[in-house]
Amino acid sequence: MSLSAKLKYKFMKDYGAPALMSLQGLKRRRSRPTPSAFGPPLESNARLKEILTRHYYLSRFVPGVKKVAWVTSGAPVELLRVFDFYTIYPENHSALVGAKKQGAEYCGIAEGDSFSQDLCSYARIDLGHMLSGKSPAGKLPKPDLLFCSNNICQTVLYWYKAISQELDIPLIHFDAPFVSDRQSEADIRYMAQQLQDMIPILEQVSGNVFYMSDLEAVLKRSQDSSRTWGNILKAMQAKPAPMTIFDAFGHLAPIVSLRGLPVAQDYYNILAEEIDDRVSKGIGAIRDEKYRLIWDNIAIWYKVRYLATFFAERKMNFVTATYTNAWAETIDHLNIKDPWNSMARTYGQIILNNNLKHRLGLMRRMIDDFSVDGMVMHSTRSCKPYSVGQYDLRKAISTSLNLPSVIIDADIADERVWSEQQIQTRLEAFCESLEDTNRG
Amino acid sequence: MYPFDAIVYLQRDDHYKRSDLEQRAQIDAMSINDTKDKVLKIPDRSDYLRDQRRSGQEIMGVLPALYPRELLWAFNILPAEIWDPPGEILLANVHLQASICPIVKRGLEFILKSPEIINSGYLFPHTCDSLQNLGTQVKDLIGVPVPVYTFYNPKGEFNKASKRYYSEILFNLQKTLEKSHGLLSQNQLKAACELGHKIDIRRQMLHAALMEDRFDLSNREYFQLIRAAEYMQGQDYLDLLNHVEINEQIGVAPRARLLVTGILPPGDDILNFLDESRVRIVSEDLLSGSRRIPIVEMDQPDDPMEYLVERFFLLPPCSTKAGGLDKRLQYLKKLIAKSRCHGVLFNTVKFCEPELFDQHFLIKSMKVMGLPVLNLETELQPGLSGQEKTRIEAFLEMLDEGVPV
Ligand code: SF4
Ligand code: SF4
Repeated sequence: MSLSAKLKYKFMKDYGAPALMSLQGLKRRRSRPTPSAFGPPLESNARLKEILTRHYYLSRFVPGVKKVAWVTSGAPVELLRVFDFYTIYPENHSALVGAKKQGAEYCGIAEGDSFSQDLCSYARIDLGHMLSGKSPAGKLPKPDLLFCSNNICQTVLYWYKAISQELDIPLIHFDAPFVSDRQSEADIRYMAQQLQDMIPILEQVSGNVFYMSDLEAVLKRSQDSSRTWGNILKAMQAKPAPMTIFDAFGHLAPIVSLRGLPVAQDYYNILAEEIDDRVSKGIGAIRDEKYRLIWDNIAIWYKVRYLATFFAERKMNFVTATYTNAWAETIDHLNIKDPWNSMARTYGQIILNNNLKHRLGLMRRMIDDFSVDGMVMHSTRSCKPYSVGQYDLRKAISTSLNLPSVIIDADIADERVWSEQQIQTRLEAFCESLEDTNRG
Repeated sequence: MYPFDAIVYLQRDDHYKRSDLEQRAQIDAMSINDTKDKVLKIPDRSDYLRDQRRSGQEIMGVLPALYPRELLWAFNILPAEIWDPPGEILLANVHLQASICPIVKRGLEFILKSPEIINSGYLFPHTCDSLQNLGTQVKDLIGVPVPVYTFYNPKGEFNKASKRYYSEILFNLQKTLEKSHGLLSQNQLKAACELGHKIDIRRQMLHAALMEDRFDLSNREYFQLIRAAEYMQGQDYLDLLNHVEINEQIGVAPRARLLVTGILPPGDDILNFLDESRVRIVSEDLLSGSRRIPIVEMDQPDDPMEYLVERFFLLPPCSTKAGGLDKRLQYLKKLIAKSRCHGVLFNTVKFCEPELFDQHFLIKSMKVMGLPVLNLETELQPGLSGQEKTRIEAFLEMLDEGVPV
């Protein structure tokens, strides 16, 4: 670790980043006005932006100071925190590219290098970034380690293998057997063993030593943050709901990519306080919430604002989603005193690694708990584990609960897949059927 | 690192201990008969399975790709693998999006027709994200009148934890099947493993003979033979394999020699076209083919469960197991060298992420090696389109000229 790199990082952390934040604040004052269908925006938005900008900004000064790991969203990152890795989440970065409507451009770079257009767009965007060095976040540090788990999909394993090969970087893979029925003791043992076997490699790459007490502290923070995030989502049961799921898509970022760090816990404490305050004062995310909806699947990042406005103008609010819930759902399996087995239970059972009977039960409970009137499913071309089975899930839910629903075909981050006219027609038909039910 | 690093065996250059294999094959062949037909009679899949069913055989529909077939045999279950049933996809379109691979769609189409031949259930081995979800979709949402079983294959670079895990889940599958099929007889399992072992050896030998131009089967016949493993009883299949003549002499040199890699072999019309063009597929790296045969000759099964565990870890590198890319490339390089192929045909199933990711690296590496590559994407529709024909012809012309593509 070089002293000058360390000093530079410290300077940027203490002075450079705060200066940048002030500049961001000035810029923010000139941001777009909120459409009248929405309630007052969350004040925490500003803090969220600061945290994320700072995270990406500081990452530029990290090489030579800390080891950098690129991590998948479902991987047990707590283990890396113990070794003080600076973590970058390519999925998060790809979502950012998607939200900036630059997905097609980055995908095009990967496709130009003969990656197939049929691959997940998060992967293509990341490969496009890797090949071109482009990033809306300025510049991302190269990884010293790749850390992935197939508990969200097998795709990430292929994608990380491709990076590992291209950049000649070691890859640690956490193999999480899919839960077809229920987790077996063999599944738990296998995962717990893998986690323990990672320690010597992580020690070697990071140059730091493992202490169990550090892991316990990180797990505790991680659990607290996930629980607070879960409570924030639960608060959306209130009528009117204090935020929309489109807000939650953004506020999800720290629990995904800063999980286990104090900054994430601090942030969710602030957000929880604001949400509670709005609930107590009856402040809704949209001005006149009449219908409450559930969203299934990952966000359509390049159309978040369009969709939020489309529904808000029709007095419809998304109050819950299977996607945002994913980072809170299994946290109660975590037991700090039994870290290895309980991490296996927590990370092995997340929604995308669990069977569709489980998903159906979860969605039914959410529909009930959040007083949901209608369901919108995003069938995304990119994501097989999220999308295969959606047609039958819809049928099961619509028939048993007599719930209006619609499926829209699009993609998470590749805007070329969006067909505005077709989707708008579908959504309008859905809204009409919802209004006809006299729900709301 | 045995058995986790099976590729080491290839690097030591003793892939297929040929003299042993040939000796064994000669003994096997002698014990069958001396009245072999010159013409290979491969039973039709549907007819064969219908006959089996009529005779009271328990038949389980098995989705692709890696599963412990010997364990099913030991329970007296005949696995009928479901890769690419023919016919139009109609019913499955109600349940699956357009961007799902045709193997998954055809599999579901088959299941939705409630075929009478399947009376013992369906087995979904864990192969990829799409099949993983299809398994739970069929079991938990669609529903079928027979049991649905699943089996997780460990992924990534294997280590001691993977080996122990695999042995535990094999045992779990045994326990699950015992609930419906009675206690497993260890003798029967041993006999099943011995049969499987003989088949593996014969298959290794045939692949070696293929690489050396030492039998007379056409491309189409070769793959019909290989794919008969998907539905035939073990002993019937072994008999069939033993009927294939392996020539002492090397055959006539073809116009071009190809290695084919992917999930399934090219369709019959493409194979016929290659036959007509005097192009020979001299080696294959297919999930439905040699990726399911151990990379080396294994010892006789002593402890059958241990044998099955070792067998899994001795299978060649495969995209669906998601091991290291370099290992897969090294393995393919060995096949390329041994088969002296002139070019590589990637037969790609549309929307198959496991293969599409690996392919990017493999194709690039082969081009660097100066090896011509043709990538054909298939939706498993029958026939040979004009465009496919033109591309194959152009590729062959380049091979004729020895120009790297
Ligand atoms: S979108 Fe789906 S396929 Fe792509 S990385 Fe995420 S979970 Fe995997
Ligand atoms: S072809 Fe590929 S995507 Fe389709 S079932 Fe096979 S491995 Fe899965």
